[in-house]
Amino acid sequence: MTLNSLNVVLFGVILLLAVGFYGLLITRNLIKIVLVLQVLVKAVVIALVLAGKQSGNLGLGQSIAATVIVADTVVAVVALALAVQVRRHTGTLDLSKISTLRG
Amino acid sequence: MNPTLFPWMIAVPLGVSPLVYLAGRLGSHKMELNGRSIFVRGLALLALLVTWALFVLSWMEFTARNEKLLFNLESIWLNADGLSFLLAAMVLGLGTFVVLFSGPYIAGEVGEEKYYAMLLAIVGIMIGLGCANDLFNLWMWFEAMAVSSYLLVAFYRERSASLEAGMKYLVQSATGSVLVLLGIALVLGNAGTLDMDKIRAMVSSESAAPFGLLLAGALFVIGFGVKVAFVPLHTWLPDAHSQAPSGISAMLSGVVIEAGLVAMLRALSTLGGFSISWGTLLLAFGALNMFFGNLMALRQTQVKRMLAYSSLSHIGYILIGLGIALFNGNPAGAQGAAFHLFNHMVMKGLAFLAAGAFLFALLDKSGIHRPLEVKDLAGGARKYPLAALALSIALLALGGLPPLAGFMSKWQIFVAGFQGSNAWLMGLVIFAALNSVLSLAYYAPLVNMLYRRNMGEVVERGAPIPLAMNIPLVVFALAIVVIGLWPSLMNWLTEPAAQAFLVMFGK
Amino acid sequence: MAGILIGLVIGLPWLGALVLWQTRDENPRLQHTLAVAFSIAAGVASLALIPFASAETAISIPMGHYFGELTFTADGLAVALTAIACVIGSLAVIFSVDYMQGEEQLSRYYAFVLLFIGAMAGLVLSGNLLFMFFFWEITALCSYALISFYNDDPKAVAGGIKALIITQVGGVGLLAGALTTYAVLGSYQVSDLLAKAETMPAGLLTLIAFGFLIAAAAKSAQFPFHTWLPDAMEAPTPISALIHAATMVNAGVYLLARFYPAFQHVAGWTLAVTIVGLVSALITAFMALTATDLKRALAYSTVSQLGYMVYAIGVGGVFASQFHLLSHAVFKALLFLSAGAVIHSAGTRDMRRMGALGKQMPFVRNVFILGALALAGLPILNGFWSKELILEAGLSEGPLWAYVGMLLGAGMTAFYTLRMTWIVFFGEARESLHVHDAGKAMKVSLGLLALGTLTTWLLAGPFGEMLDETLPFHSIHNLNLSELANEIFTAPATYVALAMVALGLAIFWLFRKQATAKSEAWMDILSRESFGFDWLNGQVAERTVQFASVLQKTQTGVLSWNVVGILGALLAVLIFLVWSA
Repeated sequence: MTLNSLNVVLFGVILLLAVGFYGLLITRNLIKIVLVLQVLVKAVVIALVLAGKQSGNLGLGQSIAATVIVADTVVAVVALALAVQVRRHTGTLDLSKISTLRG
Repeated sequence: MNPTLFPWMIAVPLGVSPLVYLAGRLGSHKMELNGRSIFVRGLALLALLVTWALFVLSWMEFTARNEKLLFNLESIWLNADGLSFLLAAMVLGLGTFVVLFSGPYIAGEVGEEKYYAMLLAIVGIMIGLGCANDLFNLWMWFEAMAVSSYLLVAFYRERSASLEAGMKYLVQSATGSVLVLLGIALVLGNAGTLDMDKIRAMVSSESAAPFGLLLAGALFVIGFGVKVAFVPLHTWLPDAHSQAPSGISAMLSGVVIEAGLVAMLRALSTLGGFSISWGTLLLAFGALNMFFGNLMALRQTQVKRMLAYSSLSHIGYILIGLGIALFNGNPAGAQGAAFHLFNHMVMKGLAFLAAGAFLFALLDKSGIHRPLEVKDLAGGARKYPLAALALSIALLALGGLPPLAGFMSKWQIFVAGFQGSNAWLMGLVIFAALNSVLSLAYYAPLVNMLYRRNMGEVVERGAPIPLAMNIPLVVFALAIVVIGLWPSLMNWLTEPAAQAFLVMFGK
Repeated sequence: MAGILIGLVIGLPWLGALVLWQTRDENPRLQHTLAVAFSIAAGVASLALIPFASAETAISIPMGHYFGELTFTADGLAVALTAIACVIGSLAVIFSVDYMQGEEQLSRYYAFVLLFIGAMAGLVLSGNLLFMFFFWEITALCSYALISFYNDDPKAVAGGIKALIITQVGGVGLLAGALTTYAVLGSYQVSDLLAKAETMPAGLLTLIAFGFLIAAAAKSAQFPFHTWLPDAMEAPTPISALIHAATMVNAGVYLLARFYPAFQHVAGWTLAVTIVGLVSALITAFMALTATDLKRALAYSTVSQLGYMVYAIGVGGVFASQFHLLSHAVFKALLFLSAGAVIHSAGTRDMRRMGALGKQMPFVRNVFILGALALAGLPILNGFWSKELILEAGLSEGPLWAYVGMLLGAGMTAFYTLRMTWIVFFGEARESLHVHDAGKAMKVSLGLLALGTLTTWLLAGPFGEMLDETLPFHSIHNLNLSELANEIFTAPATYVALAMVALGLAIFWLFRKQATAKSEAWMDILSRESFGFDWLNGQVAERTVQFASVLQKTQTGVLSWNVVGILGALLAVLIFLVWSA
């Protein structure tokens, strides 16, 4: 694999994904979880642009990436709203502390 | 291109949804609480009735043209085939009665107008999801469905269990959606297009599958699989389905996971040309889901949680039907799966609504906010004969007893498994049938509990169940019996759906 | 005409079930009256159907692709069983008027009884395997609902669910057989299977044959599924008489008889049927020797007698088995209902608390003795004729060791029958139970059944003729009455069997002190666990639950583990795809 610019970006995507999934596995704080999800989505956004570029369809890739950013902001807003409610009603942001549903 | 009506099925509920919200908000100062609630509900119901009319008209168009309906807005293409209509019928059927049911259930809760607005929106979104013909478009509908369902699951904002369920659901679902996007990026990179028909054409001309597309396939299976609750991606489901308001539990179990399945099938079908045995994959997940779901349900003491696990096992049956169809190209499997999809909507919808009616009358009305336990239902039939009968019918139908609907659709799936006399498939069908028997071990005790002679304390204190809640119960229970006695009644819907499925996968 | 009658036989009880479900506890008279009216109407329709018996398909309704045609055929086998179901059904309902006096939730009780009667008629009349299975499962549903009619009693609930699960597990055999038939022949028609069995691939035919055997064994509570019937005795007694003695449990025997011509050449099938019948007949007769619960004793005896019928089919005596089915349905219903009259007035099922009840309830005593003599196989009651016919078929067609086993069974039957009668009605009063004779409605049912016990053997000739004429695929060994009497009284087998019966009676009489007192410990242990099979059932249930609780731990509720699940599954699917491509 040669070190051209596309591969560098690809490497970046993989790195971001790895960081994101690792974060998802170890994080318990709700705000941090939202941040980690954002990292994952950003990795995907870059991947989409990269895929557009690689297939000679950069415009499509970019427009999709932009849409994903918007759509994902909505998810982040909902997630943060839930986190606020959790903090308000339980006094903590640690998901493992309020966890009662199992079995 | 003739103008077509079906996009209005999507536009009407989506368009009325903000109006419902606004009406609830603006009217709040002028009208009494009760009047506002009725107005909001009425508007939602009206929108759904209009959508029903549009459904009938587009269906007539569909049968008259005898090919899938196409529509485009600039570069966005929507198409309506048999599968789209199946999903639309399911969503509308359940949505209408859930709106009716939710009247007394949600009345007086904070954010009532949001509830109906989101409910209406999710109906439109799911119909749209069924019509998407472009991977990214599909993802957009999928994501929109997910976001509205997060809000509905965490509707009780003051209850920490409900928030916990909502949060877990959100995180797992969002992870799934990231995986789907990655898959889309891979398809875009490899195929250069996201239009499903074009990808299909491209894939069928290629001999070997490139690794990128295989990875995309795996990402689609898992990404959408989170929503469909494939074991072991199901962990959010029992929490979310049991904590949501009962009408929403019915929607989630009856149509949302099924919509996820439709989305997955659409995405996977683009890669259907490769010589990958998608059938085996679906069969494996089907067997796992069925067995796991049943065993997990066996030990549950909460009614709604038990029903949630039973959804896992029913998804298993549907996957087996689809798997058989892909495995040997037998349309019986696909049609049986489509039939079971529909029946599961009716049966599980009824089960959740009836459980919800009990939850409402026994606990919520007395201001007790805890999950409904099986033992709370002791003697329920004495005070609530109708709801108890409805719940019993739903449970026994889920367990596959005749003369109820679940028996017939399972039978149709089993028929497909035996045709061709493949020993593995026959073994799998026998395993599935034994699983049905196993499921009776948790459905039956609940029925026995309902028909006890001595009323439990909880039932004795219970409030009456309002008429608006009883109507959906009666309609769904009747539907279960009628379909059970006359199984070909739903052929008009399931046959085109099965055909669309097989065409999609190029069988 | 046959079509209309079939419609009435199934439709009337089902309509009755719907109507009864709507009634309320406030008006028990109305409930009793409606139930009796609907069941008698069905009984009349079923009797009217008998002259129309024919091998022709009477009703045919296309149900759409994959579901075949819903057909009903009123051939001899079907009309006979329909008549048994409907007539004994209506007698059980009449009996219930007294028995269920003052009970609550009668609407549910009668609705399920009527649903059952219709479903049982549908099961035997159906000419389509899918719908045979359909009705088969409805009878299981009714049986479950009625066993656990007293839902507050955990034993009743457990018994009901056990019966449901075991018969359903067996039902999978019927399902597999029906599906295989459809896959091979493209049709669910019973007649197609019978006609084309020879042409089917041997392996698949074997699957069907043994699938049906499993289903039949589970439904008729035969070895190794015999454990559910004794526990089903928690049902109200008329239900035990109707469903668990006279009708539903016969469905298994019916299934074997119906398909005997198709399967008789399948390797090992007839031998397997013979063994199932033999083992069931012997082990349950053994358990009846020491039983202390009146209804359980009768239940053991039911399994044992069903074992005789199954054995008869195994040795090719289809007519003998169906004839015994008829006799058994009548005399066992009589025994159960008179036991019901005893239990109803004594308030207990425990025989150790009864004794000398005969003086206080002479009518019940007399009819019970009549039933007991028929069960023991004494001439000239109906049980004698049919049992001799079975033993004769066994001697001439079957293996000798099986015949010897069945003879032993006949001796044990005589022993436990006499023991039961003696403990309940004679000897010393063990407790001062205040009992009274049967009520009016009870007497009507008991009297009619007693009459049947005395006379149904006279039907042997026409019954055989009807079977012979309307079952094109069976070869029925058909005799008129004088031929039958001639054959039975000249055969040495008859005297051997009678000697065996006499021996059983004599042994009881000589050892009656020991036999009615506390029984031997080892016999108790064997009987209590149904020769280890109850233990086995328990183990299966327990292991499943244990496994389920282990699995429950996988639902940790911890988000990190949930994500691990997602990533792990992703890897697994990727590996599968790469491997398969």
